Amino acid sequence: MLRNIIRDVKASMGIYKSRDDRVYGLLAEFEHPGALLEAARKVRAAGYRHFDSHSPFPIHGMDKAMGLGQSKVGYITLGGGLTGLALATWLQWWTSAVDYPINISGKPFFAIEPSIPVMFELTVLFSALAAVGGMLLLNGLPRPYNPLFYSRNFARVTDDAYFLHVAASDGRFSLDGTRALLEEAHALGVEVIHDHGFSQLHA
Amino acid sequence: MAQKLQSSPILVKLLDTVEPTQSSALAAYRWTGSVRAFLIPALLGLSALAVSIAVGFAGFKEQFYFSYLVGWSFCLSLALGALFVVLIKHLTKASWVVALRRIPEALAASFPLLALLAIPIIISLFDDHGLYHHWSTDGISDPASSHYDEIVAGKAAYLNKPFFLIRVGFYFIVWTLVSSKLWSLSLRQDLTADPGIPAKQRKVSGWGLPLVAVTTAFGSFDLLMSLDPHWFSTIFGVYFFSGAFMAAFAFIALVCMFLQRGGMLQGIVTKEHYHDLGKLMFAFVVFWAYIAFSQYMLYWYGGIPEETVWFKHRLEHGWETHSAILLIAHFILPFLLLLPRSVKRVAPLLGIMAVWLLVMQWFDHHWLAMPVLHYEEATLHWLDLSCWIGLTAVFVSAFVWRLSRHALVPQGDPRLAASLRFENT
Amino acid sequence: MADTLTIAPPRKEAPLVTGNLGISEITQLVSYHTEKKPPSTWYLAFAISSTLLAMLMVMIGYLFWNGVGVWGNNNPVGWGWPIVNFVFWVGIGHAGTLISAILFLFRQRWRTAINRSAEAMTLFAVICALLFPTIHVGRVWVIYWTLPLPNQMEMWPQFKSPLLWDVFAVSVYFTVSLVFWYVGLIPDLGTLRDRARTAIRRKVTAFFALGWTGANRHWRNYEKTYLLLAALATPLVLSVHSVVSFDFAVSIVPGWHTTIFPPYFVAGAIFSGFAMVMTLLIIARKVYGIRNIITLDHLEKMAIIILVTGTMVGFAYITEFFIAWYSQVEYEQYAFLNRTTGPYAWAYWTMMSCNLLFPQFFWIKRLRRSIPFLFVTSIVVNVGMWFERFVITVISLHRDFLPSSWDYFNPTLVDVLTLVGSFGLFLTLFLIFLRFLPMVAMAEVKMVLPEADPHHYEEHEN
Repeated sequence: MLRNIIRDVKASMGIYKSRDDRVYGLLAEFEHPGALLEAARKVRAAGYRHFDSHSPFPIHGMDKAMGLGQSKVGYITLGGGLTGLALATWLQWWTSAVDYPINISGKPFFAIEPSIPVMFELTVLFSALAAVGGMLLLNGLPRPYNPLFYSRNFARVTDDAYFLHVAASDGRFSLDGTRALLEEAHALGVEVIHDHGFSQLHA
Repeated sequence: MAQKLQSSPILVKLLDTVEPTQSSALAAYRWTGSVRAFLIPALLGLSALAVSIAVGFAGFKEQFYFSYLVGWSFCLSLALGALFVVLIKHLTKASWVVALRRIPEALAASFPLLALLAIPIIISLFDDHGLYHHWSTDGISDPASSHYDEIVAGKAAYLNKPFFLIRVGFYFIVWTLVSSKLWSLSLRQDLTADPGIPAKQRKVSGWGLPLVAVTTAFGSFDLLMSLDPHWFSTIFGVYFFSGAFMAAFAFIALVCMFLQRGGMLQGIVTKEHYHDLGKLMFAFVVFWAYIAFSQYMLYWYGGIPEETVWFKHRLEHGWETHSAILLIAHFILPFLLLLPRSVKRVAPLLGIMAVWLLVMQWFDHHWLAMPVLHYEEATLHWLDLSCWIGLTAVFVSAFVWRLSRHALVPQGDPRLAASLRFENT
Repeated sequence: MADTLTIAPPRKEAPLVTGNLGISEITQLVSYHTEKKPPSTWYLAFAISSTLLAMLMVMIGYLFWNGVGVWGNNNPVGWGWPIVNFVFWVGIGHAGTLISAILFLFRQRWRTAINRSAEAMTLFAVICALLFPTIHVGRVWVIYWTLPLPNQMEMWPQFKSPLLWDVFAVSVYFTVSLVFWYVGLIPDLGTLRDRARTAIRRKVTAFFALGWTGANRHWRNYEKTYLLLAALATPLVLSVHSVVSFDFAVSIVPGWHTTIFPPYFVAGAIFSGFAMVMTLLIIARKVYGIRNIITLDHLEKMAIIILVTGTMVGFAYITEFFIAWYSQVEYEQYAFLNRTTGPYAWAYWTMMSCNLLFPQFFWIKRLRRSIPFLFVTSIVVNVGMWFERFVITVISLHRDFLPSSWDYFNPTLVDVLTLVGSFGLFLTLFLIFLRFLPMVAMAEVKMVLPEADPHHYEEHEN
C-alpha cells in the first residue's frame, strides 16, 4: 500500500523503477511537437500512466493530452506567503513593542502603518522561495542521474528533439507491444533504455 | 458593404454621435435584446432623479449637491476608466481584448451625456451653500470680508469660478474628442474592415493617452480634491484613476454577463476572457490599495496637521467605520476572494465580485466627498442612494441603447480572430 | 468558427525572430558564445571595466581607512552622492524584473529575446546599489546591525525606519530576482550540459541544471512556478522603488514629502532601467551578431516604453510643481522655486530636458528605429535620471528650514571616482555573464517560434 503510494508519487515526478533486467523504458523520438502531442494522446488512450514527453520547451496542450491536472505549486506558495506574513508581523511587534520598546518621534510602539512594507517584503520572499522549493520538490529535482542520459540521442532534447518515454514500470509495458504502439504513432525511432546506474554513465 | 457613417441629429448626438450601423453587423454580433433593457433603467433613473432633484431643491439642497456629485463622479469614473481601457488596448495591441472592445468604447462615448448631467453641479457652483463654497464664496479672498481665508486666497488664481468652468469645459472637450474619434473609427472598421484603421486608432491613442491622463488628474483635483480646498495630495489623480480603471473592468465583465444571459455573444466571450477580466480586477484592487496606502501612510508618518486633518475627518465621528469598510471591503476581502482561479472563471461568482467592486467604487467616492459636508457625523443619506441609482440608471440605459445600435463586437478588426481563439495558459 | 465571425482577414503578426532562424539554429547561435573564445572587443571591454572595478576597490579602501569625510557630504547635505548613486542603481535594476514579470503577465511575447540579459543587468545593478548604503553608514563593520539578529546590546533594528524597510526591500528584491533568473536559466543550463564537450564543463553545467530533461511533468510545475514568480515579482518591483521613495517622502523635508513619490519613483526606475538595457543590448547585439534575435522591433518597443515612462515622470514633475504652489505652504513653494532658479538650477534643467523633453523625439517613428539615435537617447536618459536623484537629494537638503545652515554641496574626486568605479563593477559582472551564460533565454525564444505550436503542423498538412 505505502509502497504503491511512494511509487505513484515518484512516477508523478517522472522517476520510475527499472525492471529486474535493467530495462528502464522505451524512448521514442518524434518529428515535431504536433506529432509528439498526438503520440502522447495515443499512449494515454492505450491506458499507460508511467510515461512522459520530453521537449526543449513546454508544448501547449500537452498537460491535457497526458491527462495531468493543475499544478499544485500554488498551494505551497500560498503557505509560504502566509508564513512570511505571520513572521513579519510577529517580528516587528515583538521587537518593537515587547522586547525593547523605544519611543520614536512619539509614534506608537507598534502600529500597522509603518509595518506594512516589511510585512509585504517577507510575504513575497517566503512565497517566492516556497514556489521554487515546491517546484523542485514536486519535480523530484535535483536529480543528477537519470537513466535516459544513457541515450546519446537524448542529448538533443534540450536543443530541437521531441521524445516520448514510456517507463517499464507501467503495468501495460511490454517491449514489443509498447514499441508497436509508438511506431504506430509515427515515431522516428524507438530505443530501449537500460539503467546501469550513475557510475557507468560517462565511463 | 462599404458604407459611410452617418452623423446623428443634434439631440441624439448627446447619446450617440453616430447613426445606427447595426444593419451591417454579422448575425452573431447583433443586439437581440428587448427594448426593455434600456427603457426600464431609463424610466427608473429619470424618476429617481426627478424625485431627488425635486426633494433636494425643496429642502435638502446641500445634501443633494453632495449626493449628486458622488453619483455623477461614479459615472464619470466609469467612462474615464473605459476610455483608458480603449486607449491602452490600442497602444499595446492587446489582442485578447478585441472581442470585448465595443463595450468600453460605448461606455467611453458617454461624455456628452455626462456633461449634460453636470448641470446641477454647475448650479451649485453659484450657490452660497454649494459644493465648492469653501473656495467659491464671495469675499473668501478679500481680507476685509468675514469669509476671508488666507490659504484659499493664495489659490484664488486657480480656484475661481470662471477658471473652474473653463477647465472643466476643457476636460470634457478633450474626453469627448478622443472618445468620439475612437468610437467612429471603430464603427467605420465594422463597415469597411479597412486595414488602415488600426494604425489610425493607435495614432489617436498616442496623443490621446497623455492628454486624457493629465485632464483626468486635474479633473480629480478640481472636482473632488477642491471640495476641501486646504488639503492637497499629489497622488490624488492616480488614486482616482486606480479606482476608475478597476471599476471599468468590473463593469465590462458585468455587461458581458448580461448580454450572454440575453442570448448574445454566445461562444464569443468565453471563460478565458472572464478569467483575464478577473485578473485585471484583482490587479487594480491591489493597485488601488497600493496608491491609497502610499497617500495615507506618507501623511500619517509626516504628521503635519494641514495634511493629516483630511484623514482625521475620515477617522472620527463615525467616519472611522466607513474607512474600515473601505479597507476591508475595497481591498482585503476582494483580494482574498479574487485570488482563486475558479472565482475568475465562473461567471456568477465573478459577477458578484463585479457588482461588489462597483459598489465599493461608489463608496470610495462617497468617502472622498461626504465628510466635507458632514464632518461632524457620518451619514448615509437616502439621497445618496437615490442620486446614485438615478444617475447610474440613466447612464447605463444610454449606454445600452448606444450598444444596441451597433455590432456588439468590432467585427472588422484584424485581431478579432485571435481574440476569439484566445486561451489562458 | 473564428473565420466566419470576422469580416477582416486575420492579421499576420510580424515574426518575433527574424532571418528564418530554426529551433536548432537558436541553440547554436546562443550557446556558441559561451563555448568559444569571446571576440576581441570583449577582452578590451573587460580590461577597461575591471580596471575601473579595481579603482572602485581602491576608493572604498581609502574611504574605510579615512571615513566618510573623504566625500563631499557636508552639514545640511548629509546624503550626498552615495545616496544619489544608490537610488540611481536601484532604479536601473528595475527594468529586468519588469521585462521578465510584468511583460510576461501581459503576454508581451517579444520580451523573450531580452529578458535574460535584462534580468542579469538587474542583478548587477542591485549589487551596485547595495554597495552604496553599505559604505555610507560610516561604521561599515557593524552593518549587521541593520539585520534583526540578536546581539550583545540586546537591541533590535528600528522597524519604524524607512531605511530599514529599504534593507528588507532591496535584499528581498535581490534574492527573488536571483531565484527568478536562475529558474529561467535551468532549461538553458540543460542545453549547455548536453552540448558540453569537456568533462569539467559537463560537470559544472550538470550541477546547475539539476538534472533537467525537459519532461512535461516538470514543465507543468515549472511554468506554474514561473507564472507565480512573475505574479510575485510584479508587486515586488513596484514595492522596491516605492520603499526607496519612502526614505525621502516620510520625512517632512520640502520637496521630499509628497504623496506621488511612490508611483513616480517606479515610473522613473522603469524609464532609466529600459534606457540601460537599451544601451547594453545595442552593443551586445552588434558584437555578438544576434541581430535576428534582438531585432530592431525590440528596440523600437523599448523606445516606446521609454517615451511613455518619460512622459509619466515629466507629468509627475509638473504635478509636484503645481501642488507645491497650490498647497500654499511657503516651504514647499520655496523648495521648488529654489530648484528652478536657485544655485542648482542647472541640475534641475538638465534633468527636465533629458527626462521630459528628449524622449519626446520618440514620437517620430524614424528616430525610434535609428540605432545611433536610440543609443544616444539611452545615455541621455540615464544622465537625466542620475540628475533627477541629485536634484531630489541635494537641492532639497542644501537649503533646509534653517537659513543659517545653508550650504553649497561640492563633490570630491573620491565621489566622482567611486561613481565611475561602480560602472566598472556593473560592467565587469555583465561581461562575465555574457561570457559564460546564454545571454538569450533559448527555451523561451523557441517557444514563440511558429514551429513550437503543435497546431502549426496541422495547418500545414491540410
